[in-house]
Amino acid sequence: MLKSVARMLPNLGERINKVTGEEQDWLVRANQITKVFTTNGQGILALEEVDLTLRQGSFTSLIGPSGCGKSTLLRIVGSIETPSRGSLDQRQSPRIAFVFQDHALFPWLTVLDNVAFGLKMAGIATKERYRRSQLWIERVGLAGFERTFPNALSGGMRQRLSIARAFVTEPDVLLMDEPMGALDEQTRLLIQEDLIRLWEETRKTVLLVTHSIDEAILLGDRVVIMSRRPGRIKTILEVDLERPRSLHTMTDPRFVALKDTIISDLHDEVMASMDLR
Amino acid sequence: MTTSNNPIRDEIERSTARSRRLRQRDLALGITTPIVLLILWQAASSTNLIDAKIFTPPSKIFATALTLIHNGILTHDLLITSLRLLIGFILGGAVGVGVGILLGIFRTLRAAFSPLFAALYAVPQIAVLPLLLVIFGIGETPKILTVAAVSFFVLEINAMAGVRSIDPQLLEAGSAYGAKGRRLFWHVLLPGSLPAIFTGLRVGVALALVVVTATEFVAANSGLGYLVWNSWQLFEPNAMYVGLITIALVGVILTGIVELISRRLMPWRGRNTRD
Repeated sequence: MLKSVARMLPNLGERINKVTGEEQDWLVRANQITKVFTTNGQGILALEEVDLTLRQGSFTSLIGPSGCGKSTLLRIVGSIETPSRGSLDQRQSPRIAFVFQDHALFPWLTVLDNVAFGLKMAGIATKERYRRSQLWIERVGLAGFERTFPNALSGGMRQRLSIARAFVTEPDVLLMDEPMGALDEQTRLLIQEDLIRLWEETRKTVLLVTHSIDEAILLGDRVVIMSRRPGRIKTILEVDLERPRSLHTMTDPRFVALKDTIISDLHDEVMASMDLR
Repeated sequence: MTTSNNPIRDEIERSTARSRRLRQRDLALGITTPIVLLILWQAASSTNLIDAKIFTPPSKIFATALTLIHNGILTHDLLITSLRLLIGFILGGAVGVGVGILLGIFRTLRAAFSPLFAALYAVPQIAVLPLLLVIFGIGETPKILTVAAVSFFVLEINAMAGVRSIDPQLLEAGSAYGAKGRRLFWHVLLPGSLPAIFTGLRVGVALALVVVTATEFVAANSGLGYLVWNSWQLFEPNAMYVGLITIALVGVILTGIVELISRRLMPWRGRNTRD
């Protein structure tokens, strides 16, 4: 404990102007991020001076209207996109894993090899990586499908596979980009329940980009609301619902109240893009 | 109501049996049609309903084939054509795949060479044969090079398209999970472009056969193309048919080999798409 405090001190000194008391346990911090895209020779401002801090072991939901740049922000946080302006601080160079929107599974690898991919790239020996992968395949309920190729799986199974592939690498930070976007309602509920369980067991630092207010509240410790493009952080709401949570949490009056706040907050910015989801 | 399970099971069995029956019927029809046509041909030409000098009956063609095999002409021609085809195809194809992948990866190279290659591809490769004959004389080199040229272009274009068509999310996923540089190539780029490369191989092998036959028509005194062309000049339709059928068989076998390799290398494809 003392050690970790000591490790923080030099950083504190550097950034004393920004660090407030409750944010000392940050793991990844995006400072004043601005992102400009060029499409067909035209510059588009996607993000404007966005600050985002991921606290160690916290679950952050990021919500906002379509095209507001929330995926871009996630990709910048994960360093697969570079900001046009602003900077990204990472503490102790954390290991980062992604769960992508369309799963981005490798069609040429079996379920087992897809899960083992990250471990293979990390140079883990065959036996060990299959053992660990097998464990996660069982945890997400894909046992019996180890030798199946992804294109023979249903949408929900692919998503579980994608989650297993991320968790097996034991990441410090897990970045999920609308992981439930392509799923039907029933499957989505099942996977949300799985995610709650997995997260409460592992307590990774998670950033979840989502379209769904329910999902944002149900899973998150806090909900970050973005404005429409150019994306800015509009509000940050703490979710004071105790854990463990379940799907029944959604009927809790505090949940409903929070949902109501978010709906008013997003107002017309989000209603147009989201009320049919 | 006590037997309510049985009618359903019966229906499932009936449906399975029906689909099996249909598949067997399709197979039988596929085999029967050519046989029936051959029999009709045989009957029509031996009763002189069609000109037997031009449309020699299949039985005579078969006899000629046996003779040509026996005196070694057919086997020799087959061997020589196969060699020209395979050497040219493998050389041109391998370079084509390599260059195509490089062009797919590096934007600068693509900008520099892709338009040029596209323009050259539009020139029928067989049209370059006379030039190659001027340069190299009437040896094996011009024929093999012509085959190599067509194989190169088809595979270059397909391999490049293959690399370009990989879902960018897969590349991102690859590098996000630690596959960078050479490992990204082996674990993501190459498997990801394999389907397009095999499309190129299928098209390329067929075109290579066309080209090798054409070069043998005009610039050879051996090979299956020469056999067909020479049979026309000597008016020996029997031998011509034998040559044509052999060329067709070479095509079928080569395509089959490509198909076989593609199934071995890409077991993830065509599993769920059979119906």
